[in-house]
Amino acid sequence: MANLPRKLELFYDVLSPYSWLGFELLCRYQNIWNINLQLRPSFIAGIMKDSGNKPPALVPRKGKYMMMDLQHLKNFYQVPIRIPKDFLTVILEKGSLNAMRFLTAVNMEKPEMLENVSRELWMRIWSRDEDITEPQSILAAAEKAGLSKEQAKSLLENSSTDKVKNKLKETTSAACNYGAFGLPTIVVHMDNKPCVIFGSDRMEMLAYLLGEQWQGPVPSAVKGKL
Amino acid sequence: MPSSEDQEFSCFKPLSTVLKSLHTAHRRFGLPWQILCRYQNIWNISLQLRPSFLAAIIMDSDMEEYREKVGGDQRIQVPTKGIYGFNSYLEKLRKQEYMKNELQYLGKFCQVPIEIPRDLRGVLIDKGSLNAMRFLTSVHIEYPEMLEKVSRELWMRIWSRDEDITEPWSIQAAAEEAGFSRKQAMSLLKKSSTEEVKNKLRENTNTAYKYGAFGLPTIVAHMDTKPCVFFSSDRIELLAHLLGEQWQGPVPQALKGKL
Repeated sequence: MANLPRKLELFYDVLSPYSWLGFELLCRYQNIWNINLQLRPSFIAGIMKDSGNKPPALVPRKGKYMMMDLQHLKNFYQVPIRIPKDFLTVILEKGSLNAMRFLTAVNMEKPEMLENVSRELWMRIWSRDEDITEPQSILAAAEKAGLSKEQAKSLLENSSTDKVKNKLKETTSAACNYGAFGLPTIVVHMDNKPCVIFGSDRMEMLAYLLGEQWQGPVPSAVKGKL
Repeated sequence: MPSSEDQEFSCFKPLSTVLKSLHTAHRRFGLPWQILCRYQNIWNISLQLRPSFLAAIIMDSDMEEYREKVGGDQRIQVPTKGIYGFNSYLEKLRKQEYMKNELQYLGKFCQVPIEIPRDLRGVLIDKGSLNAMRFLTSVHIEYPEMLEKVSRELWMRIWSRDEDITEPWSIQAAAEEAGFSRKQAMSLLKKSSTEEVKNKLRENTNTAYKYGAFGLPTIVAHMDTKPCVFFSSDRIELLAHLLGEQWQGPVPQALKGKL
């Protein structure tokens, strides 16, 4: 009898470039490893506030290191990251609340589209240095992902309902209850005990814990398709 | 900014990569250090260990942030013991909890026998590592070929057996376990409190800081004359990729069965 796929929750926010890296890696492996990947759009500012943590970019040296680190990782992971010109404004002032509410609405109404829409939002902010806070920006990402204009507008309207706002709060709280202090946070459900992993750079260790094979950030099955 | 030591080395081995691993008794049990030691005879690298003082790096990094916020040249005295700073990760309890769990997984994954000290905060913040790092600096000056072994024994004390590393007899015990005679160990211990050794430790720590370190372990790879800086144990696969070497996981083939 085949083993049941292990449930893996990925808590992420499109404001976080490392969340994008973790997201792409897990999307690549979701059909290779015996896992059931569940995407959990969350609000990173909420997690920071709740845990007393703060964005690494606020520590000057960590910010500088991050710039360098992302340049290496984008090549190694083959994810087209480009640092926004006004990086601190994008992260600290503009933020991601509307975008994450929108993704929460997508997750509730059209979960099969969540992966594509998330990716399109990341491409806007973290590859083309485009806005993700205005309604027209979010609609553009949604349509690029494959939603019709009508569907996108309807989801945008839903994003400002209490139902969606509460769902985002709930997901963010769930991450905090697992001990999250940042994103991406991955929760692997194995042997009835959740195993919590922070960051996009623990995938090889994750493979080890799952008893799966790590083939690097670009597994064979995906080479040539990127 | 390579030191004269680096340039000399690069001259003798133009094709190899000079890799400096700046390390200290650190929560990650020197995981990258352990892993790099495993690969030093597999990859075409020259691994140079640089004992440094973590508390000073964190403090300097925090002070930089403080100065940028409030301006001026205020310099708070570097604490002589443990890790203390505005951004000290231990202040963030949630990170501490996470760290405890993660280290268990990492220990198994990397096959390094990590056990979290019972009084983690006491060990990291109150007790610190100044004496131990001065001792390692002393070893580095007098018996560089013993640095790897003594470092490992100090790590085993603090991060595997929850034993002290601050008292003279603790450090001596680690030195003897590594293979030093009692006489050599005592002589190195005496040397640790000389200005020569204190200055050397400061120098290494400042070098790490000049490379942009905000924590340890920090690895500096000298490739094509430009230094490439990496923080922590989770960039070694990336490092392999940049070196054009093969990554075989934290326990490469050549070592399986010997751990």
